Amino acid sequence: MLKIDHLTVAYGPTIAVSDASLTVGDGEFVVITGSNGSGKSSLLRSVLGLAPTASGTVAVDGATARTRTEWQRRRRAAAYVPQRTTPGSFPLLVRELLDSSGNAPAAEAAARRLGVGELLDRPLTTLSGGQLQRTYLARAVGSMSGERRLLLADEPTSALDFDGQDDVANLLADMSATRLVVSHDAAVVAKADRVLEMAGGSIRERAA
Amino acid sequence: MMLAVSLGELLSLPVIQRSGAGLMVAGTFMPVVGVLIIGFDILTVRFAVMHVALLGLALGLWIGVDPTLLALLLCAGVGTAITPLAGRPGGLSGPMGLLMTITAAAALLVLSVSGVNANSAFTLLWGSILATRTSDLVLLVVLAVLVLGMFVWRRRELGLVLFDREVAACSGIAVGTVTAVALLGISVSIAASIRLTGALLIDSLTILPALAARNLAHSLGSMVRIAIVIGLVGNAVGFLLALALDLPPGPVLVMVAGVITITTYIKKGPQQHAQVLH
Repeated sequence: MLKIDHLTVAYGPTIAVSDASLTVGDGEFVVITGSNGSGKSSLLRSVLGLAPTASGTVAVDGATARTRTEWQRRRRAAAYVPQRTTPGSFPLLVRELLDSSGNAPAAEAAARRLGVGELLDRPLTTLSGGQLQRTYLARAVGSMSGERRLLLADEPTSALDFDGQDDVANLLADMSATRLVVSHDAAVVAKADRVLEMAGGSIRERAA
Repeated sequence: MMLAVSLGELLSLPVIQRSGAGLMVAGTFMPVVGVLIIGFDILTVRFAVMHVALLGLALGLWIGVDPTLLALLLCAGVGTAITPLAGRPGGLSGPMGLLMTITAAAALLVLSVSGVNANSAFTLLWGSILATRTSDLVLLVVLAVLVLGMFVWRRRELGLVLFDREVAACSGIAVGTVTAVALLGISVSIAASIRLTGALLIDSLTILPALAARNLAHSLGSMVRIAIVIGLVGNAVGFLLALALDLPPGPVLVMVAGVITITTYIKKGPQQHAQVLH
């Protein structure tokens, strides 16, 4: 279970998330929507220690993280899909990125389901933004097959076509892990157990 | 025929054999160091290490400790010390420039205050392939084993750190430790190899083979393999050409590595277009 309690994230004088509280139950699929700059990504990234926490706590299965060891343990308990639509310039094959999940067969199976299973020997630098997003998601799914029980995804469908959005939404809905996903995509929102909205750094439950 | 006999005679000399062996050993692992340099986007690192080494050499000459050893130790310490900066926005490029400037100033101050002959320090810094000692060769072999061993052992983590540092961290990889070990390896390898080609020409051993390999490779594994082949071929051809034409080896090595690298850029051109147009 993920429990965010009175969390404030600040980049210097700029408050990105203000006194936000949120609980995601075991196996629950929660989507966060909201306008650009409303603090969605900062909230998600704070779970992994990637955003500077000014106050409040983030606990996974009751455990908070403060030391380097605790953060590493937290990160080993979660799978993360970053908001990436362009790869870096360093050469890496799709297969190598999937292999880094720690469970290449599971990641490759997810890649096939997401329509990028034929691209295993392609350099990541040659993929389109949508193909790259599917690859990152497939990698995260592969890493979920171990001890990881929490999936965090930041706009995983932002560069996808309509079919791709449906593929990702269905895959997310079929997972049994605890899922916290930032998305504006109607297909993903429709599959969620609960939808929250962020505005000005604060969270509110969105009406069904 | 004259040329072949002359070259054969040269190659039978122990000093030439030692130098050639040094270049071949460097050719097996310095291109891997180059791949890391490109991956961490710290192309200015050799200038920074060069100035750290100069400071170490100056200090060594001043206090009467083996200057090369002190330069190596200082480079190792600095390489590890700057690791925390790798995770900051902007990466290591800025700190490398800062390091370069501060250590250059410190080295000049040490040379000035100590009264040590600056030429002695600079002579060591410029290096000479033909001055390769057996102890240098042993050091290069040890570094080759360590660098290649670490790469093979941790290539999966390293590949992810170089491709996407954030995702690597979120995968539970100890990115800081991996970066620290890599920077330590880069710093010590450059410092140890300065003796072969001199600080200014170290690119022929490191960055040029890696740049050429990046133009031809599609994966981390193939990039490393191609870089090593280019490093070995470039070093061998450059060294033999220098001997045959009686030219200084350092510049000839750089010219050969440079020609190979330019060729790969020409080859890459149309492919790059095709990739962008997918």
